Amino acid sequence: MEKKEEKKQVSGEKEPVAEAVAQNTKEPRAVETVPAKGGANEEMVHLIMFRLGSEYYAIKIGLVKEVTITPTITRMPRTPHFIKGVANIRGDIIAVMDLEQRFNIEPTPVEQGLHNPNVTYTLVLEAKDYNLGIIVREMPQSINLPVSKIDKTPSFLQDINIQENYIEGIAKVNNRLVIVLDMYKVLTQDEVNELIG
Amino acid sequence: MKSREEEYKEIFVAEALEYYDALNRHISELERKPQDDQILAEVFRLLHNLKANAKAIGYLQISDVSHKLETAFSLIRNRELTFSDEVVTVLFDGIDLLGELIHNIDNENYGEADPVLLRNLDIIVDNLSDSTIELAKVQKYNTSKNLSLSDLIYIQIKKLDHLMNLVGELMIDRDRIISISRELNNDELQNVSSHLYRITEDLQYSVMDARLVSIGTLFNKFPRIVRDIAAAEHKEVDLELAGQDIQIDRNILQIMTDSLLHLMRNAISHGLEKPEEREKKGKPRAGRVSLTAQNDRENVLIRFSDDGKGIDLKQVKNTAIERQLVTADVANDLSEVDALSLLFEPGFSTAKEVTEFSGRGVGLDVVKNAIDSIGGRISIDSKQGKGTTFTLRLPTSIAVKGALLFEVDEIFYAIPLIHTEQVVSLDKDELHEVGSALVTDILGETVTVVYLHELLNADPSDMRLGDKRRLKGQVQNIIIVSYNNRKLGLIVDKLYRQQDIVVKPLRKPLDTIDLYGGVTLLGTGKVCLVLDVPAITRFYVNKR
Repeated sequence: MEKKEEKKQVSGEKEPVAEAVAQNTKEPRAVETVPAKGGANEEMVHLIMFRLGSEYYAIKIGLVKEVTITPTITRMPRTPHFIKGVANIRGDIIAVMDLEQRFNIEPTPVEQGLHNPNVTYTLVLEAKDYNLGIIVREMPQSINLPVSKIDKTPSFLQDINIQENYIEGIAKVNNRLVIVLDMYKVLTQDEVNELIG
Repeated sequence: MKSREEEYKEIFVAEALEYYDALNRHISELERKPQDDQILAEVFRLLHNLKANAKAIGYLQISDVSHKLETAFSLIRNRELTFSDEVVTVLFDGIDLLGELIHNIDNENYGEADPVLLRNLDIIVDNLSDSTIELAKVQKYNTSKNLSLSDLIYIQIKKLDHLMNLVGELMIDRDRIISISRELNNDELQNVSSHLYRITEDLQYSVMDARLVSIGTLFNKFPRIVRDIAAAEHKEVDLELAGQDIQIDRNILQIMTDSLLHLMRNAISHGLEKPEEREKKGKPRAGRVSLTAQNDRENVLIRFSDDGKGIDLKQVKNTAIERQLVTADVANDLSEVDALSLLFEPGFSTAKEVTEFSGRGVGLDVVKNAIDSIGGRISIDSKQGKGTTFTLRLPTSIAVKGALLFEVDEIFYAIPLIHTEQVVSLDKDELHEVGSALVTDILGETVTVVYLHELLNADPSDMRLGDKRRLKGQVQNIIIVSYNNRKLGLIVDKLYRQQDIVVKPLRKPLDTIDLYGGVTLLGTGKVCLVLDVPAITRFYVNKR
């Protein structure tokens, strides 16, 4: 019962990205579009942007199956610390991961008044052969930008260690720096195994 | 539900009709190409199978007619009888008669087969080229043939797997609906949900039943395998099979195939002595290996025993020390049962020589892993000089399991009943701190116990498994589980009921975490973690 009220409240605040995502291919309503320099023909990429710590991150929308208010998560003892547990999403039991803990990012407090601090969102990702949830603390946004806006080889990427090769590129969106993630690399099997040991 | 006998009969009739159709097809073709050896061979094979099947199930008339036809075709194949017009007519009549017999298997009023036709068959078989005896005209009785389709269909196991998964999902939702209807206390909803309960239960059992095969489908392959291994090893073996008609899930049987084969190779190459050796010991020349199956409550028990030399405990202990599985001190104190369970440790193999059939470094741990993977149990018993017995306890179905539900630190857990021995409530004072472990006495047996909350949730650097102060409350609920002959008591916070659960396997990226056999959803919609007893036992041993 409580949950329903929360949902209404949320949708009143801002255009819900969840609906946009659910329709995936259709033109979403709340989309920040970055104009392309090279004219209208340039290839665009649709991303879902969310905040981790004080930085903005984004993943390709094709991977995102849905965005929901985080359901009850059952903790699974003796799993890596960044696995929050498992949750029942529409009868599907999926693992839910905390990327802030995964990347060792210091969480920053959510801006007052904008959100109910007790509500978090879960992005349900559809990877190659499994689904996975990612917790974010602010309502994710959807952005549209030309592929050319993503700098795939910033010089610093060559300096950082291979452990962090899950960064696909860096994009500038309205003077905001957005880190585009390669989700397939975020959770490789080897890393999970390492962390269990 | 029909009896098994009834079911066998149906299978026989369906197969027989298929053979009958194929025979008709082939013989029509043969009429056009009488010299085609391939078709002849196929006709011969079909008749032979039909004869054997009919004889096995007791339809002697069918097996008799098949036999006569088979003889006729063998003569044709050997060019002792020509496929001439006269002969062709008799053969067609004979096959028609077969069809009639099969169709009238349940018809008590059918009576005897046409004697004239039978005599004609005898004539062509017995008199070869001597055509002086006239073939009697057979009254054609089945001019208006009925076309009918078989009552049996073949189905891919993949489709049944999918069906079983769907039923599993349905059961989870059903439990959820029942729980909601109880909360809402609406009569109509409760009626509908209890009806839904009955239907899904019926559906579950029907799907499970459709997946059952008789263990004989695997057992009956062994006589030939045993012969081959025995011949290669220069040993004499009497194989005894029993319980072939016990039913088991097809996928479970599939997973057990390699394990049983492995045990068989082990028993013959390492267990049984050479014939001369056996005679010296006063045993019969031929070793006896028996493979039996029986139902045991919800499970299937497979017993595998040989009367060979048994397992040398001293050698087992020495090897274990050599491979650094245990220290010498510990090995000497091990009981017989504990020492035997060392055989299942990874990397243990007592085979001293490599033969074609066994001892390639794959030991009993592979067998154990296969059985663990389907949630079964294996135990071993051996008397030196007398023989070895393996007992395999297998679930009849993979997807649905009886389980015990409990709670630790507000998380719901389940343990499959196949691994639980008993549940006890003990006062804290009955638990004793011995070294870094807690032990208690249960019916005269000292059992190690562990507080599951401490094992699962304590910080690894601050884990104190042998500290009673970590326990909450005075009375402790303990579930005694057993794995590889070792008992372990798990102290839980709250004990709930026993329930059939549908285990959903963990998917990536959690599938490598072996502590959990899977998850299930409770009627309340809550996620319940299914603990894997083998993994939790190993985890406990490592943490100590």
